[in-house]
Amino acid sequence: MREDLLDPRAVLLHERAPDREAAIRRCGRALVEVGAVAEPYVAAMLERERSISTYVGEGVAIPHGTNASKDDILRDALCFIRFPDGVDWDGERVTVCVGIAAREGGHVPLLAALAEILMDPDRARTLREATEVAQVMKELTL
Amino acid sequence: MAQRTVAVASASGLHARPAKLFVQEAARLGVPVTVRLGDKAVPARSMLGVLSLGAVQGTEVTLEADGPGAEEALDALAALLSRDLDADAEPGGNSGAKSGAEEALDA
Repeated sequence: MREDLLDPRAVLLHERAPDREAAIRRCGRALVEVGAVAEPYVAAMLERERSISTYVGEGVAIPHGTNASKDDILRDALCFIRFPDGVDWDGERVTVCVGIAAREGGHVPLLAALAEILMDPDRARTLREATEVAQVMKELTL
Repeated sequence: MAQRTVAVASASGLHARPAKLFVQEAARLGVPVTVRLGDKAVPARSMLGVLSLGAVQGTEVTLEADGPGAEEALDALAALLSRDLDADAEPGGNSGAKSGAEEALDA
């Protein structure tokens, strides 16, 4: 995965969210704060989630905006937010959200690279249990 | 080994809604099916596996299965892949309108 996608400031390891919507808002805020997306992208992430769950397995969800919100993406980026207490995600327990902002043509290869990493149970566990930003940076960029 | 090779028809490729519908159907059919793309082969019922293929619209994938029910399962999954699943809007006005807009942007 490209190294410039994940800003260490967008790696948050000890967050709490009462529900799925709050967790997605937290992801959106992280992407806004590193200058990857404009504010309206956050609402588009919530809209996307209402149309279909972004849960992918291994305790991980990948919130991202709708195709109509691509103009709100300033640069392709990821955020990594860990919720150690878990978040109920339509019946699944999510402990990691990887928020995604990727423009036309970038989204599918980025998802494929991310899925490839998460398919390795050891790497997925390291990410779920990460306590240091460096661990996450290593797993998601190598 | 029964096989079907089919091009992904969905505008957004095999992720998001199309991937979810495909994985759900594969699980429902109960016959182990493998999706092959190049030298990668993943279980059809694994969301991560299917996402990891990175298949876009027009990408040809090969479905494989063995044993009782294999042919029927492959037919069902191949038929699903050859439909534009992004165009299958959910019922309801707002989401329908949104899906239309998404589709237009994808095209």
